[in-house]
Amino acid sequence: MAIRVNPTFIDDLNRYGAEDVQLCYQCGDCSTVCPHADDMYIFPRKSMRFLQMGLEQKIETTLEPWLCYYCGQCSIQCPREADPGETMMSLRRWLISKYDFTGIARKFFKSRLTEVLTIITVAVITAVFLLFYGFSGGNLTIYDGKGAFLPSTFIHRFDLTIGGVLLIFLLTNAIHMWYLVMIKGTDFPVPWWIYIKQLYQLPWHFFTQKRYSECEKKQEHPVFMPWLIHLGLMFGYVTMLVLVMVFIEQLQAGPEIRWQVHIFGYLATIGLLTGTFYFIRNRIRKNYVQYKKSHGTDWVFVILLFYIVLTGILQHVFHRTGLNVAANITYVIHLMGVVPWLLRMPFSKWSHLIYRPLAMYFAEIRREAAARQASIIQTVPVLIK
Amino acid sequence: MESNTNCRIGVYICMCGTNIAKMIDVESVAKFVSSVPNVVLAKTYKYMCSNPGQEMIVQDIKENHLNRVVVAACSPNMHERTFRSALRSAGLNQYLFEMANIREQCSWVHKDTEEATLKAKELINAAIKRVVYHEELESMSVAMCPNVLVIGGGIAGMTAALELADAGNLVYLVEKENHLGGNLARVDLTAPYLYSARDLLTERITRIMNHKQVQVFFESRLSGLTGFIGNFKATIGKLNGEPDNVTNQVEVEIGNVIVCTGFKEFDAARIVHYGYGKLPNVITSFELEKMIRAGRIITKEGKTPKYVAIIHCVGSRSQEFHTYCSRVCCMTALKYAHEIKSANPESYISDIYIDMHAFGKGHEDFYKRSSEAKTLFLMYEKDDRPVIHKASPKDDCEMLIEVNEKLSGELIEIPADLVVLMVGMEAREDSHDIARLVNISQDKDGWFIESHPKLEPVATTTDGIFIAGTCVAPKDIPDTVAQARAAAARVLARISKGKIEVDALFSEVIEDKCSGCRLCNQLCPYNAIEFDDVKKISHIISALCKGCGVCVAACPSAAIRGRHFTDQQVLAQVEGLFET
Repeated sequence: MAIRVNPTFIDDLNRYGAEDVQLCYQCGDCSTVCPHADDMYIFPRKSMRFLQMGLEQKIETTLEPWLCYYCGQCSIQCPREADPGETMMSLRRWLISKYDFTGIARKFFKSRLTEVLTIITVAVITAVFLLFYGFSGGNLTIYDGKGAFLPSTFIHRFDLTIGGVLLIFLLTNAIHMWYLVMIKGTDFPVPWWIYIKQLYQLPWHFFTQKRYSECEKKQEHPVFMPWLIHLGLMFGYVTMLVLVMVFIEQLQAGPEIRWQVHIFGYLATIGLLTGTFYFIRNRIRKNYVQYKKSHGTDWVFVILLFYIVLTGILQHVFHRTGLNVAANITYVIHLMGVVPWLLRMPFSKWSHLIYRPLAMYFAEIRREAAARQASIIQTVPVLIK
Repeated sequence: MESNTNCRIGVYICMCGTNIAKMIDVESVAKFVSSVPNVVLAKTYKYMCSNPGQEMIVQDIKENHLNRVVVAACSPNMHERTFRSALRSAGLNQYLFEMANIREQCSWVHKDTEEATLKAKELINAAIKRVVYHEELESMSVAMCPNVLVIGGGIAGMTAALELADAGNLVYLVEKENHLGGNLARVDLTAPYLYSARDLLTERITRIMNHKQVQVFFESRLSGLTGFIGNFKATIGKLNGEPDNVTNQVEVEIGNVIVCTGFKEFDAARIVHYGYGKLPNVITSFELEKMIRAGRIITKEGKTPKYVAIIHCVGSRSQEFHTYCSRVCCMTALKYAHEIKSANPESYISDIYIDMHAFGKGHEDFYKRSSEAKTLFLMYEKDDRPVIHKASPKDDCEMLIEVNEKLSGELIEIPADLVVLMVGMEAREDSHDIARLVNISQDKDGWFIESHPKLEPVATTTDGIFIAGTCVAPKDIPDTVAQARAAAARVLARISKGKIEVDALFSEVIEDKCSGCRLCNQLCPYNAIEFDDVKKISHIISALCKGCGVCVAACPSAAIRGRHFTDQQVLAQVEGLFET
């Protein structure tokens, strides 16, 4: 059955950042130079091709965009300046909006106005809600304990509620991804035990980001720079998420510093601050190939994160120095960033935290299942005939 | 003519470094040669072709009054001219010379020194026996008529005609249509610089029509050509609708002919699964040109097409039709992509190709610009051609083109409202008639054959007949114009010389012996033999004769003599081979 070519698709992807893919003439230099492309996963060449031809049903089931960590060597080598690295990035954006069944991600990627207005609206609603809550039972001069403006038990419940919403979206999207990749896009049987056998891939890639470090070998960066910094950012982020979701009550107590909890907070802050600073600086300077083009959502991502980290630090400083009124006000300002940030997660670049390790996991499952299938076909040719 | 007893022959045996000397005992050969009758001296030398080697010959001719020279060295193809000129500079007729090839035909191909040396002696002996009968021959010259006939009024013919006429020569330009411009007149813009074809042509047409030195014959064709280089008589007849019927014949005298008859396009209906002629919106490139010139690119239903597909290599590069590449279609297709997109920016263009041949100046940049404009390039395998179907009513397009896309490896279908077939070039159906009239050859595809594909791209095997443009092979406008100017330059060079030198090696009829059987007339591959109706005997036009010897061998009365290849000379050479 022939697949229908969709020449209009390339215009759609333009909005996701694939501005030069039409220049590709399929020489394959990109796949040759890529440290991750192999016989089974041929990219960026093939992904570029599917995009040019608008084979949506092919792209939505592919893992290749997630296997790329954007070292940018392909874009440097490309004889036609078709920017394969940025094309893979735009395909990741497109896939995020494809996995998302609500259609919100698509709107965010396609229109900066919608995204920014939504963030501001959520921020205002958050502020109104928190101020209403605070003034209805609390005292602006008390930060923690009895009569606190925003009591830690309330914030804890508030966090868990948002976390729950977040988790529901992420899980449903992950299931959608699994369906597209492993059911719709896999035309050979995958036995259940391969899922178990390859399960270690998930934590391995999540915590080491080993493939990113392999990209480094090909880069002009100082050795390990973006990989280490990205790893620090990720660890900082996850640590902070755990602290906020689980240990918020210990964190908010004070004003004395509880080192057994706070030390993690400080380390996480260093990771977050270094990471956001590094990536903002690179995006402004456009000093390496992967930072030459920044999609609007990339800017929202780093700026919002930077805002949250800065307001978080301020709030912490005010509280520990006994400036409770300032601490409470900064707390509201801080949460005005955190709530839209968390709610935006499943619909934004941030969701690669889940999709990337999942993709590595699925890729290895498919690889093993395909090899198994090939060996079956080889050993029992009579049955096949 | 000197008698044999007065022959004083000098024989020179070349060592060619060690090429000859390592396999042939040259001293023993020289010793043997010295004893052969009529040989005055026999010398060996390291390199006979070197300046000292040649000077040695010149000096010996003068000092020893030699009147024949034999050089035993390499192939005459290599150095016969060299030694002939040595003879000339010593004041001896250059034909009193013979070469024995003891390198390619002896030292290089043998392994036994003794046998090789013996063979060398035999070859040289044969040459000595032959040279005894050599005669003094003189080359002759004939007058060159400065008028030129140009067949075809396309861009090639007009360019050649103007070039010749501007130099002051009278040009007869024969055109079968009632207007000038040829195939280029059917084109809107040209690739890759998008110059208007009309602008290219108008200036030339106006100049030709007003040129005092150009006489244009519209709706006419060449109906006869006799004579030889410098002295042709051409008959030009008016076409009157019937293919083989011409009227008002005019005879003109010309010295040279330039054939610029162009191409015709491939008939797209021959490829059945493109549906040309059945699907209304499948059109050829020339039909699209017509639309573009009219200013509206629309479907048969009058709608602006959203999806346009362009299919390359229609009739070209295929085992079934033509194996060659038509050279202009790739860039023309890109030009269409550009023109369609400019006319309707909302349209999507799929360019379905085998390979993108972007070989010329500015072509690669043009290709990249087409990519920038989001032309979707889709590659198909040679001889696995796309198939065009009518789409179903629920599709948002008129047609679907099914193809195995090579770069993705997927079987795909491409939406299309308008399909443009890039029809290739092929030789015109009347090219065979032209070839016969002017006595030139055609290749398997019907294109006229050059006398050398690299070094003589506009000359033919018939002296005085030149070819230029797309009647030789598919080519683009710059190449066509370059060829036309090259052909004109070749003709001008001959005209400026005023006469044409004819090599002394031609055959001649011994009139007393000729019975007028005319056997030779049909056999001559160069049309060099004419029949004298008054004397009732055959006559060889020396300017056309190449001295091939076919008539000499065929003549039942032995009435034809090949100069420099007389029976006596050849038989003496054969006898010489068996004497030692």
